[in-house]
Amino acid sequence: MARFLIKRILIMIPLMLGITFISFIAMSLVPGNFVSNLALDPHISPQVIKQMEAEFGLDQPLMVRYLRWLWQVMHLNFGISIAYRVNVTNLIAERAVNTVLLSLASMVFSWALAIPIGIIVAVRQNSLIDRGLSFFSFLGMSVPAFFLAFLAMDFALWSGVFPVGGTFSPDYAALDAWSKVADRVNHLILPTLVLGVAGVASLMRLMRSQILEIKNSEFVRTARAKGLPERTVLYKHVLRNALNPFVTMAGYGLADLLGGAALVETVMNLQGLGLLLLGAVRSLDVPLVMGSVLMGTILLLVGNLLADIALVAVDPRVDFSTLASQ
Amino acid sequence: MSVNPTRIAIVVIAAIALISAGCHVNRPPNDHAVTQTLYQSMGSDPRTFNPILLTDAASSQAVGDLFEGLVRINPVTTLPEPGLAASWEFSDGDKTITFHLRHDVKWSDGAPFTSRDVVFTMRVIYDPKIPNSAEFSMTVDGQPIKVEAPDDYTVVMRLPRPFAPLFYSVGFGIIPEHVLEPVYAAGNFNHTWGIDTPPDKLISLGAYQMDRYVAAQQIAFRRYPSYWMRDEHGGQLPRLHGQVLLIVPDQNPQYLRFRAGLTDVYSPRAEEVNGLRDDAARLNITVKKVGIDTGSLFFAFNRNPRHYVQNGVTDPRYKWFTDINFMRAMAHAVDKRGIINLCFRGLAVPAVSDTSPENKIFYNPNLTDYDYDLSLSAKILDEAGYRMIRPGVRGDPDGHRLVFSLTTSTGNNVSDEMCAIFKQDLASLGITANYRPLEFVTLVKSLDSSFDWDCMLIGFTGGLEPNDGANFLQSSGNLHLWNPMEPKPATPWEAEIDRLLNEGTTVMDPSQRAPYYWRIQQILHDELPIIQTVRRIDYIAYRNTLENYDPTVWGLYKPEWIEFRPQ
Repeated sequence: MARFLIKRILIMIPLMLGITFISFIAMSLVPGNFVSNLALDPHISPQVIKQMEAEFGLDQPLMVRYLRWLWQVMHLNFGISIAYRVNVTNLIAERAVNTVLLSLASMVFSWALAIPIGIIVAVRQNSLIDRGLSFFSFLGMSVPAFFLAFLAMDFALWSGVFPVGGTFSPDYAALDAWSKVADRVNHLILPTLVLGVAGVASLMRLMRSQILEIKNSEFVRTARAKGLPERTVLYKHVLRNALNPFVTMAGYGLADLLGGAALVETVMNLQGLGLLLLGAVRSLDVPLVMGSVLMGTILLLVGNLLADIALVAVDPRVDFSTLASQ
Repeated sequence: MSVNPTRIAIVVIAAIALISAGCHVNRPPNDHAVTQTLYQSMGSDPRTFNPILLTDAASSQAVGDLFEGLVRINPVTTLPEPGLAASWEFSDGDKTITFHLRHDVKWSDGAPFTSRDVVFTMRVIYDPKIPNSAEFSMTVDGQPIKVEAPDDYTVVMRLPRPFAPLFYSVGFGIIPEHVLEPVYAAGNFNHTWGIDTPPDKLISLGAYQMDRYVAAQQIAFRRYPSYWMRDEHGGQLPRLHGQVLLIVPDQNPQYLRFRAGLTDVYSPRAEEVNGLRDDAARLNITVKKVGIDTGSLFFAFNRNPRHYVQNGVTDPRYKWFTDINFMRAMAHAVDKRGIINLCFRGLAVPAVSDTSPENKIFYNPNLTDYDYDLSLSAKILDEAGYRMIRPGVRGDPDGHRLVFSLTTSTGNNVSDEMCAIFKQDLASLGITANYRPLEFVTLVKSLDSSFDWDCMLIGFTGGLEPNDGANFLQSSGNLHLWNPMEPKPATPWEAEIDRLLNEGTTVMDPSQRAPYYWRIQQILHDELPIIQTVRRIDYIAYRNTLENYDPTVWGLYKPEWIEFRPQ
């Protein structure tokens, strides 16, 4: 296991260098830089623009800028955002909380609902329940999340039951401790449903097809032939094998925690990372974009690693030596 | 008990229902009228709380009520009136201005406001290491204004020559010397008062103090108890006890929040105005027409030889765009009515001049618009030698097909639609315009260094002081879009604009000054380096419980008097 871990962690280093370098090049291929945004302001003279370019080192060649950035990162300093003149880490951490909360909530929601429903429809294949739920799952997969978000906002305005977007109420600061929690949960419910619906739909389809496939495999027939009750066959043999791809998906889900909700965040005005990063990319705030690229990369790689470790834990056919040799 | 998937699914759904029902928020009544707190939305997070460094609208909004300048501009008369300076007088042939400061102004930490603060602020503005937008408009003929403080409450500014625009630029916020001088001396000014500064460290003297800033959520203000301004009965101003700016990046949720009663004021888009009017009684709001937009939105045509002359060969487009007949035909091909009806739901007016009619002193009312008339356009083109080569294709006198690119900034539906309308009208004249929208930063690069564009739809914000547009109007200006940074004026009319701009700044009386700028508008109208399109009509919707709420396109009139009607 130690060998496997060391190998995987060593592979991460060139991967991260490659990903960050490519992102850096992509950002500098765009003509202009952050201060170009100010160039059309009649109150800002070309000299001021030159000063700002020099202040943030934007007048340096690409390699110098990249190496400077890399040097900072190696000292665990992600740099200063050009737009906000504040440390990138603080800026990202502030908003990541909202995004992670929402992503976790919708992940829990969709998994907790999709797996049992997937089992139900698989067990009762071609029944009325299967057909009905399949219909809804296709509907859920085909309606884009941002459109659902618009519908949800309209619903909130019309019904008055849920808050109209936002992460908490304007009078949040004046609330008592319990109400603060309740207020935030209230604001989370609609976005969680919106984000979760597509997840429920696709996960449940996956669960259904997994179970159906495994139900017809030889070891299940063997288990049945041994005279095991159908219940034991289903939960001990079929289900356990059917869950394998979900373990891998959970690993990828870790990277999705930060970026998966950007569209819904924009529509429902949830102050998460999505809007911050979209703004950063459009205005070419390089340190901010690079900071988030790096964080996303780390989460993706670590998520993958965790998923592989978990796979070894749940699937006796997989062990570290086979993983390491891949 | 065995695991039953149906049961799990039911439990999950029940749990969600329970959470939703159980989350009762125990909120103290938040009636804006009772707390006298005005709620508004703003579009993005502030980027700095440093009033000198700010370059974006959100930061200006965030600290605008915290700091004040020597003079302020009355949005109704559009003339300067006293701010931190109670009075001023001119001497030495209008070259010396003596400001007499108010004696009763205190910083929020208790220190008195004095002339030292003004002198320090000007020193910071002129520091080449501190990028700021005040320096440009406080520079006369390339020289800084000399400033001295004979005593604590007198500031004397000496100019190299009379300079009328000064009064529109000395409104910059004054910063406290006793707090920021040590920081400045240590060379840290550019990183001071960023958005991570605790609000109580922002030493201010304006009508409001910052109470808290929650990133991506809100900025809350409370009124400054020792604010110098009093109403006519000696009562405390501002009358509102506080303000909250909710940070709502997208306009759709801003609209919904206003409708839901979370905010008290909202600037609706054209498509929202009628809906709000219909519901005005039910929502208990007023939808008020504020006026005509102060900016300008126009088609510019590139006349820059650096774009067209390559290896001694001149691109034919250069000839077209410098040919007044061609440009007149273009001007008659802009369907302003169609643009107003299609892109602005009828809520806009045709624009004739680069100055908004709301600029009552400097707007030239005597310009006649180029009417939309495609047959007239075709006739002008035919007579000037731009004839149809074959059906649907027009060529220039040398036989080149009339093809050019049409650019605008991406992500704006209105400019997209406007370009589509123009492109279609050009097509019916036999001219091909290739629509090529660009991301804003890319567009800026093509404007200021690669010069690689033909025709562009672009908008500028406008101000009261016409000399603020010097960078655009002057032939040497870097925003002189059609041919930036000319070493010397390329045409006689550009030379005349340069001269008028220069002379216009030396006349102190606004009514005597206006003719200079009227003439500039006339020249732009006749020579057509740019073709004006339309101006939006601005609306504001606000709750009927607000009193003394008096918006103008130049800002709120007497904002200190705003209050919620006592119930």
